[in-house]
Amino acid sequence: MKGYGKYFGKKIIWFLITLVAAVILNFILPRLMPNDPVAAITARTAEGISDVSAVKRIYETYAEQFGTNKPIPTQFYLFVKNALRGDFGLSFSQYPRSVSDIISSAIWWTIALQLPAIIVGWLLGNILGALAAYIRKGFDKVVMPACLLASSMPAFGMAVILLVIFGITLKVAPTSGAYSYTMIPNLSWKFIKSVIEHYQLPFWSIVIIAIGGQAIGMRSMSIYELNADYVKYSRFLGIKDGKIVRYVFRNAMLPQVTGLALSLGSMVGGALVAEIIFSYPGIGTSILQAVTMADYPLLSATTLIITLMVLIATFVIDIIYGFIDPRVKAAQFDS
Amino acid sequence: MKRNIMKTLALAIAMMLLLGCLFACDSGETQPSPDDKPATTTKTPSPADDAQDDEEEDSGSDSAALDDIPREETLYFAGLQWGPINGWNPVSSDMNNAVPIAVAAGGSRLPMFETLYMYNMLDGGMYPLLADGDYQWNADMTEMTVKLKSAAKWSDGTPVTAEDVAYSHEFGIKYNTNHGLAMGPYIDTIEAVDGRTVVIKAKVNESGQPENPLMVVQYLGQSYIFQKAWLQKLEARCNNDEAAIKKDPAEDVVYSGPYGPYFANDQKVIIKRNDNYWGQDPSMWGKLPAPKYLAHVMYADNPAGEVAFKAGEVDVCQQFIPNIQDLWLKDGLPISTYMDEAPYHLSASLPTAWYNTSSYGLDNAVIRKAIAIAVDYDAIIANAMTNQSPKFTEVPRSIMNPTDGEQATYNKADVAHLQWVGNDVEGAKKMLDDAGIVDTDGDGWREYNGQKLSYNACCPNGWTDWMAAMEIVAAAGEKIGIEITTEFPEWSVYQTVVTAANQDLYDIFMMGTDGSAPTMPWGRLRQLMSSEFIGVEGNWSGNYGHYSNPRIDELIALIPTETDEAKLREYYTEAVEIYLTDVPSFTLMYRPALFDSVNESVWTNYPEQGDGNNIPPTNLLNGYGIAGLYQIELVNP
Repeated sequence: MKGYGKYFGKKIIWFLITLVAAVILNFILPRLMPNDPVAAITARTAEGISDVSAVKRIYETYAEQFGTNKPIPTQFYLFVKNALRGDFGLSFSQYPRSVSDIISSAIWWTIALQLPAIIVGWLLGNILGALAAYIRKGFDKVVMPACLLASSMPAFGMAVILLVIFGITLKVAPTSGAYSYTMIPNLSWKFIKSVIEHYQLPFWSIVIIAIGGQAIGMRSMSIYELNADYVKYSRFLGIKDGKIVRYVFRNAMLPQVTGLALSLGSMVGGALVAEIIFSYPGIGTSILQAVTMADYPLLSATTLIITLMVLIATFVIDIIYGFIDPRVKAAQFDS
Repeated sequence: MKRNIMKTLALAIAMMLLLGCLFACDSGETQPSPDDKPATTTKTPSPADDAQDDEEEDSGSDSAALDDIPREETLYFAGLQWGPINGWNPVSSDMNNAVPIAVAAGGSRLPMFETLYMYNMLDGGMYPLLADGDYQWNADMTEMTVKLKSAAKWSDGTPVTAEDVAYSHEFGIKYNTNHGLAMGPYIDTIEAVDGRTVVIKAKVNESGQPENPLMVVQYLGQSYIFQKAWLQKLEARCNNDEAAIKKDPAEDVVYSGPYGPYFANDQKVIIKRNDNYWGQDPSMWGKLPAPKYLAHVMYADNPAGEVAFKAGEVDVCQQFIPNIQDLWLKDGLPISTYMDEAPYHLSASLPTAWYNTSSYGLDNAVIRKAIAIAVDYDAIIANAMTNQSPKFTEVPRSIMNPTDGEQATYNKADVAHLQWVGNDVEGAKKMLDDAGIVDTDGDGWREYNGQKLSYNACCPNGWTDWMAAMEIVAAAGEKIGIEITTEFPEWSVYQTVVTAANQDLYDIFMMGTDGSAPTMPWGRLRQLMSSEFIGVEGNWSGNYGHYSNPRIDELIALIPTETDEAKLREYYTEAVEIYLTDVPSFTLMYRPALFDSVNESVWTNYPEQGDGNNIPPTNLLNGYGIAGLYQIELVNP
């Protein structure tokens, strides 16, 4: 058990070092962009104003409010101090909305779309992959090319194809939004039905691609494991097929678990394409807007969330691996 | 073995079915939580709640009307609102709430807040709204008298008074609102003479002349009038702090227009008709506007809005749609525009290519004009605008926009010898050869005083029509031996560079001009060539290429106070002559101030050219265009 303690301790130290580096990069990188976000807000406010000194005054007022006229180290100190309290300041692009408000109102849509999609895609993909490897023959000949096609298609391609076929041509699914454009959110069956209908195309556009990638990975791993010496040996010993499949599945699963953790970690930034093509609400469009408008506070906060989620996911995986994979455990203890 | 396979397969199919069910439940369960979220974080809890309460009182217990806004009572817009709103505060520029609030020189948006007059870009006229009858200037144009309609009332039922008008101005100056900053340099005070009469006193210069009477007229159609009592309430709760006042979401705002706040979340914004609107009085419209709700769904981008527009989920679309005529000619959709034939829309602004006069060689008018006459404008209009712009053979270039009113302000014949229609490669080459600007080292590019002429042509990335135009400018350069390469930076970078006091990054770059307004074409003359903008940091006002001409500055000073029509014509003609001779910038195409395409599957009888109603195509919202809301009717009443 002492070995585990050392293993965890080392992991935690690395986790913290990566976190500090990520926070610094999150702060600095957006500010290296060669543009002036305050000028963009000034432009919006200056509508109908032709007096030059008046426009200058608007600019200075905003610069003061955002603190962009302060030196960078001071800005960094303020950023970290406020971020620790969960306050990421005011957004530039959606001023005077606070970054926390933007994120908290959008992120639930992203999670509600991405989390089930990633899990369903992962489960279906792994089952299909394992079956393809085990059954082979006709099943594999159909599943394998289909999965290759699905996984090699770019996300926007899949989204547009679904939109054109089901939304525009067949008219069986709505084309945009998260609920009917005539509705106001409320807890009624009619509204929930509308939400489920609008959920389908964005959901499947993510799931289909995920299934393809996962199935291919799982199939290769399973085939590799099925030909491993221990399988042959088990067969030789006369162990039942069902039991062998369990061994094979457990070993083949390991890399797939890493894949799942990473996709859960990067979930927040991942639904951008579905959000744009289907005008589906979520955090992705806010991130895109933050990039194009040089909205440092929003950009820093969203990238920080993504970084944290990925870090936590990999950390958890490392810890779990220590338990479930004796090879990792052994390697760690050796070093 | 075979039995085992069958068993596994059966198990797998069963699992997939189970997962399918799980997913269905999943979406049902996970979704309502975010749905609750927007509803509870709605930016407008109190007015929306009030409105919903009203609704319940109005219609008994018609709770369905709360969940689902009836399609045939709602007019849907697209292309006006991007991203969620921040509130309903009309004295702030940070509300990002474009359906009810948009201040514009060419007539502000009027469904919720009202101006004294409504500007009509078709005839340049000022139509009374809160005002009663025409405004009156005194002899030297230093004072203007405006009377108010006795019927005009606020949404709380109290009358709109001269005190409200006077205080709206005072408040704007005090807190540097858009009105204060825009009108402060031109309007000194606004005084309430009696309950229904105000006198607007213009700022005067040392010689007692008004600073700019044109801007005072612009005020009438640009600046909203607010209720004094509400402004004071706002000041009190924000402790007279300017920043706090501008951040206040103003959920309790009092307004005089026909629509008020109803609902808003991150996905849509809806304003609802106030059925007690004062404008039903015979002295104004005599009735209520036809739609009960005006709604705007937030689409992620133009293509998403276009899909909804084609599907009939959007009635009025303020988006550039390439080859718009295909929607009715090929697709057979019930879609139309202000004009049946090309250019389909009423053009008002001049997307312009500016020369950076501090770039090497671009201080030379010959080089500037040579590039300008070599550009193939027909290709720009056909490709970039898909013919939704008049051609330069139809509307010759000047500083005026294509509306009849502006075209009539100068003598076309006097400048005809300076005109060009473009694609004149031989003419451009000859012009450069004659000036001794030739290729001396045989590399295919011309040199000027021994240095190769090489420029970049820039516009913001993703602005596809502008990008296409810049590619055509670059192609023209190649044909006449001047190297021009295109560069498309992101908008946030682009605007930082072009508005800088000095920049050496872009040589030829695009910026738009203002559209129609009471100050035009004077305002555009100033925007295109006034030297007052040179050396200004954060210059959003104009003359981005830093051109300077003392005579132009004189004309800019003379025109606003000139009342003699003949003299004005002379000044404007001279200004166009200088513009076409010096070519500090050149117009690439004409463009509407607002695109105005309509889908007539639910509503019909939209304003059209030649329908005799003289309503401008401003999305039924801006200036006198709001009259369209009283004209449209249901396809199936």
